[in-house]
Amino acid sequence: MAVGTIHRRPGPAGTDARGRRDRRRRGPGLWHFLTFAAPGTLVYLCLVLAPIIMSVGYSLTNQALLRPRTEFVGLRNYELLLRDETFLQSLRVTTILTLIVVIVPNVLGVAVAVLLDRRGWLYNALRSVFFTPMVISSVVISVIWTRILADDGPVNQALRALGVREPPGWLSDPDIALYSLSSIVCWQMLGFCVVVYLAGLQGVPQELGEAAAIDGAGAVRRFRHVTWPLLAPALTINTVVLLISAFKIFDHVKVITNGGPGTGTTASVAFVVLQEGFVENRTGYASAEAVVMLVVIAALSVVTLRILQRREVQL
Amino acid sequence: MSRSSPPWLRPLVALAVAAIFAIPLYIALINVFKQSRQVAADTLAPPAPPTLDNLVHVLTGPDSLFWSSLRTSVLVTSLSIAVLAVLSAMLGHYLARHTGWWSRAIMVLLLCGLMIPPQVILIPVTQVLKSLGLMSTLQGLVLFNVGYYVPFGVFVFSGFMKAVPRELEEAAAIDGATRWQTFWRIVFPLLRPATASVLIFLGVWIWNDFLNPLIIYGPREGTTIMTGVYKSLGQYAADFGGMFALMFLATLPILVFYLLLQKQFVKGLTGGATKG
Repeated sequence: MAVGTIHRRPGPAGTDARGRRDRRRRGPGLWHFLTFAAPGTLVYLCLVLAPIIMSVGYSLTNQALLRPRTEFVGLRNYELLLRDETFLQSLRVTTILTLIVVIVPNVLGVAVAVLLDRRGWLYNALRSVFFTPMVISSVVISVIWTRILADDGPVNQALRALGVREPPGWLSDPDIALYSLSSIVCWQMLGFCVVVYLAGLQGVPQELGEAAAIDGAGAVRRFRHVTWPLLAPALTINTVVLLISAFKIFDHVKVITNGGPGTGTTASVAFVVLQEGFVENRTGYASAEAVVMLVVIAALSVVTLRILQRREVQL
Repeated sequence: MSRSSPPWLRPLVALAVAAIFAIPLYIALINVFKQSRQVAADTLAPPAPPTLDNLVHVLTGPDSLFWSSLRTSVLVTSLSIAVLAVLSAMLGHYLARHTGWWSRAIMVLLLCGLMIPPQVILIPVTQVLKSLGLMSTLQGLVLFNVGYYVPFGVFVFSGFMKAVPRELEEAAAIDGATRWQTFWRIVFPLLRPATASVLIFLGVWIWNDFLNPLIIYGPREGTTIMTGVYKSLGQYAADFGGMFALMFLATLPILVFYLLLQKQFVKGLTGGATKG
C-alpha cells in the first residue's frame, strides 16, 4: 500500500488515515503484533503447545478407541507404566540406541573433519559425499541397508566368500539387530557432525597450532590441547542434535525391523508410543508414555546443554 | 597428521574413507539399472547389461502410485515451505526487534518446540485436526508442518536479523513507509541467505518426512512420496530392481533441489553453528 493511496475514511476522532499509519509505525503496537507475530504464534499454539497440554490431560484418562466412555483415572497409567515390561524394555532400547548414536558420529565426525580440513576441489567433493545421506529420506536409507544387511545380502555374501560358514544375521538375530540399527543411524548422521566440526575447525586460528608446534608439541598433543578445546561449541551442537534425533528415531525401526526380531528387541520409546496410540488405539495410556518421553528428553537436553556450555565458557 | 608425513597420504586416506562410506550410496545407484535377479545374486556388481526397465516400470506402472505420490509431495512440500518462510520471517523479525516480556516468552516457547518429538503431540494433533475437519487432508498436513517447523524458521531468521541494520528500517519509516512495506521491500530481500537456508532445510525435511504424513494424511487418501515407498515395500518384495528404481525417483527431485542450492545450505548451517 503506497502512502499516497491511503484515503481518508470516516471514523471516530484520531483514527483517520494519518493516525492509523502513525500508530502502526510506533512502538510495539497491537496492530504490529497481530500482523507480524500472531499468525505464526497461533498455528504453533494450536498444533504444538495445546497438544502437549492435551497429552498430559489424556494421560490421566483411560481413553481408548473402543471404550465407549472415557473416565478420569488419575495417575494409574503412570503406575501401570512402571510395571509394563514392553515400556521398560523400550527405555532400555532407547538408552542403548541414544548412547551409540551420540558417541559414534561425534568421534568419527571429528576424525573425518580433521582429515578433510583442507582447501581444494577434492576435499569439497568428499564433504558432499559425507553430507549426502542427510538429504536422503530415512525410509530410503532404511530400505538400502535392509538389503545390505539381509541374511543373503552383500555383507554376508562377502563373509561367506571369505570362508565364514555361518555369518551373523545382522537384522534377524535379536542380540545383534539393535546394534545394526544404531550403526545405520550413525552412518546417516555422520555427515552432519562432519559439517559442524569443519565449521568449527575453520574458526581455529592456524597460528595457534604453529606456535604449539614450535614449542615442540606433536600432532596428538596439538589436537588434544589446542584444537579440541576450541571445538567445544561444535561438540555442544552435535551432541544436543544427536541426542534429540536419537530419542525420536521411529522411521528406521518401523521400516527395518518393525520392533523385532523377537519381542521388542529394537522397539524404541518413540516406536512404542505410536504403536500403542495408533495400532492398539489405547490413546490415554500412549499419552502417558508420550509425557514420560517428553520429560526425559527435556531433562536430558537441558542437563547436556548446561554441562557442555559450561565447558565452552571456561575456555 | 604430522608435518613429516608424505603429501599424498592425506588425499589417499580421505579418498579411501569416503569410498568406504559411500558404498551404500553406490549400491543404491547401480541397482537401479540392474535386473532384479542380478540384484539378489550380486548386489555389489556393476549392472550387466544395464537396463532401464526398472525405471520405465515404475514410471508407467498401472497404479500410477509414483505420479500421484509425487504430485502430493510436491504440493505439500511447496505449500508448507512457502507459508513457513513468510510466517517465520515475519515472526522472527518481530521477535528480534521487540524485547518486551511477551516477545521473550514467545521466543522461549518456540525454542522449546525445537526439541519436541512429533510422537509426543501426534495423538492430540489428530484430535485438533479432526475438529477442524482437516484430518486426512493435504491442508491438514500443511498446517501441521507449519506449526511444527515454525520454531526452526524463526530461529534461523531471528539469528540473521542481527545482520540487518536497524537504521535502514528507521530511515524507511522516516521516508513514510509502513511497517509492511519496510519489511517486504527492505528487510526481507536482505534476508535472502536465511530464506534460502530455511527453504532448503525445511524442503528436505518435509519431502523426506515419513511419520507425519503416515499418521495425518493416512493411507486412505493417498500417499506422499515416502509413505508411498513404504507402502510399496510389500509389492516390490521380490522385485529389488523396481524397489531401487522407485527410491531413486523418489529421491531425485529433492536431491536436485538440494544440489542447486547447496552452497547456501552449508552456509546457512554453519552460520547457525557459529552463532549458536
